[in-house]
Amino acid sequence: MKTLFWLQTGACGGDSLAILSAEAPSFEQLFASCGIELLWHPSLSHAPMKRFDALIENIASGAQKLDILCVEGSVVTAPRGTGLYDSYRGRARMEITRALARRANIVVAMGTCASFGGVHAASPNPADCIGLQFDRETPGGLLPADWRAGSGLPVINIAGCPAHPHAMTQTLEAIAQDLPLALDPLNRPSAFFSTLAHQGCTRNEYHEYDIEDLELGGRACLFYNLGCQGPLTQAVCNSDLWNGVNSKTRAGVPCFGCTAPNFPRETDLFATAKIGDIPLRLPVGVERARYMAYKNLARAAAPARVRNKKMDV
Amino acid sequence: MARVELNVSLNRVEGDLELAVTLDDGVVAEARTIGTMYRGFEQILIGRAPRDALVITPRVCGICGTAHLYSSALALERAWGAVPPPNATRIRNLCLMAEGIQNDLRQTFLFFTPDFCNPRYAAEPWFDEMMAAFEPFRGAIYLETLAVTRKVVQIVAHFGGQWPHSSYMAPGGVTLPADLRRISACRAVLDDAQRWYEQRIIGAPLERWLALDKAEDYFAWLDAPAHAASALGMLSRCVRALGLHRSAAGAKHMLSYGAWRDPATTDADATLLASGFYDGETGAIAPLDQTQINEHVRHSWFRHYEGGRHPWNGETIPNYEPGGDRYTWSKAPRYGDKVVQTGPLAELLIGGDPLIASLNALEGGGAWLRQFARARRIAHEFLHARRMLDQLAADLSGEHFIPPANEADGDGYGLIMAARGALGHWIKIKDGVIEKYQIVTPTAWNASPRDSAGQPGHWEQSLVGVEVRDPDDPVEIGHIIRSHDPCLVCTVHMLDTGRKVHFNA
Ligand code: SF4
Repeated sequence: MKTLFWLQTGACGGDSLAILSAEAPSFEQLFASCGIELLWHPSLSHAPMKRFDALIENIASGAQKLDILCVEGSVVTAPRGTGLYDSYRGRARMEITRALARRANIVVAMGTCASFGGVHAASPNPADCIGLQFDRETPGGLLPADWRAGSGLPVINIAGCPAHPHAMTQTLEAIAQDLPLALDPLNRPSAFFSTLAHQGCTRNEYHEYDIEDLELGGRACLFYNLGCQGPLTQAVCNSDLWNGVNSKTRAGVPCFGCTAPNFPRETDLFATAKIGDIPLRLPVGVERARYMAYKNLARAAAPARVRNKKMDV
Repeated sequence: MARVELNVSLNRVEGDLELAVTLDDGVVAEARTIGTMYRGFEQILIGRAPRDALVITPRVCGICGTAHLYSSALALERAWGAVPPPNATRIRNLCLMAEGIQNDLRQTFLFFTPDFCNPRYAAEPWFDEMMAAFEPFRGAIYLETLAVTRKVVQIVAHFGGQWPHSSYMAPGGVTLPADLRRISACRAVLDDAQRWYEQRIIGAPLERWLALDKAEDYFAWLDAPAHAASALGMLSRCVRALGLHRSAAGAKHMLSYGAWRDPATTDADATLLASGFYDGETGAIAPLDQTQINEHVRHSWFRHYEGGRHPWNGETIPNYEPGGDRYTWSKAPRYGDKVVQTGPLAELLIGGDPLIASLNALEGGGAWLRQFARARRIAHEFLHARRMLDQLAADLSGEHFIPPANEADGDGYGLIMAARGALGHWIKIKDGVIEKYQIVTPTAWNASPRDSAGQPGHWEQSLVGVEVRDPDDPVEIGHIIRSHDPCLVCTVHMLDTGRKVHFNA
């Protein structure tokens, strides 16, 4: 049995609610059959809060073993580095987080807030939010860049706003079974971050032929005009559908790149920044010089059913 | 008189709050709610493109992001003069209802009922029954709730791509139309969830349950076998046996922005269940007037201003001053100068549910009726969600999105009933970007601190007079605070001289 403690800092609760949508395994299955013992979850634990206080104390002192610490939410450091804008019984949650992380064998940042700062860290960052081991793109957050948990691993960043339900439960299951976890340069488990949100989008055929929408509500691709970050964003949203049924881009909502450390980007989220006619940021690995020529050819080759947006999504 | 200081924290709620309470001879004499977390959404929005609010504001809350998205879209529509087509309104309603069903089930069976599995009640005749149904991660209803709610939010995902946190409502409509596949898939989800609700939660067909309109009839029903064995029947008997129908009425005035926009009209203020202000002194319901809404910061950690300000003139500039008589990150919203409560009880009472009106007239609105109204609202959500699907099926070629004709600078607001009650967003757009954005959440109304006139907020009032039998285990406070469906992780401090007891529950 591996013990798990779930701590919320400056959070909206979205990752906790997202994980309840996981099916394979479900959140309940982690405890019923995957070898995890839930010490505490703020929304679901039945025990009185004195248990929470005792657990914090016992973990900090080493009397209670902590295998997995999950943190949900941005680390609030205001005002002036005290963290008191987010307190529990007069103690900064930032401090509680640090105390628990020090004892944990593995620390998992659930969601982009805990990973990189997230929406609360968007400019002007009124509560001075940072992530556990990153401050937006910069390594080093609440914990320094070279910090390692008991297992030798850095904070595992399950990025996403919220994190994908299966990225959360399947990572926890792997940890419970001591399976090796490869991480990418942003310390995200590679298994869930080496596919693009763009892969599996039902608008792909429109993308190939450069048939783009100018307004929301259409059937075509959202990359050129409406800010879609799908081709630039590592996430399983379109290969392991949300709630088992859909994804934002399939539903006509641009991908906002919520698994990236710069989410939410500072520019208009529903617009594509361009240099002249060409998007400022091109799909991962695409060469700018050839892009326009390729797009013009593709658009000219588009079959009528695509050009006329006859294909359903 | 023995005055004690306790320090109580509550889990199984969303967010952060403390409550300072004076306890005299075991009875709460005074309470202060203290919001302990500040993130600053309203500041993050300033200077951004107006539509960015559709991405940023759902992140205010993980359990009711659809509601924030909807308020945002309505505020932008009002500012830009955009009118969504009927099918867009139907899809928006459907998604909001699905999120509501999710919330109402999870709040009831994951957050509220576990309190009755407290060892304090081990000797009660109903204890074993409650454990079997509601024990976290073990009880039958608890586990079924996890499974059913997981399916119900698929409805939002069918149209919005995912739940939680998507941005599929935009000024002018929704990003994806209904089609046969989506309608059929959503119907199947609703059918299953409704059957479970009928069989396990209320023990009756939906029509029969909604036709029940008098308090006496409900009390008779409580002993009838089908309802008696259902989750709500068990809960009602147990909660009433504890006297929770007589306690914690709180603010007598209530506010509802009206449930679900009426797709049959272009009037953005027309709702399927009426909006209004319920005057607790006269029992009269007055039409809603959003200009009456104002927020005070006299006791909040924000830059000071005099009196109350309408959200369009409001500001959110943090000014953290611990230790003085300012004690919270929550502002104090008022309707005119009145303290109000909001939530499913207000929604159904003002919206005209006769059973809720009858029970409220007979017993007043205590902790039981608040929770009961939440369970009852689920029936309205099923009924209307099905209607939305039927109407969509009958008009499959209808438009789902009409781009706004212009995106001029201007002011807007969007008022909706979120799961926890009245939610409003107010926006000012200048030079094409957000100049000002103010959000007044349902929990801001309910968990409000004192205002400029010193009037305590709804929770602060509802705790007064509550007897805490065992100061080492004030489970009564858990029942009452959680019956409000708080969107905060609560800590309750009880302050004063005399005996000093440190306490966690
Ligand atoms: S909408 Fe986005 S994810 Fe979908 S095909 Fe276009 S670029 Fe890719």
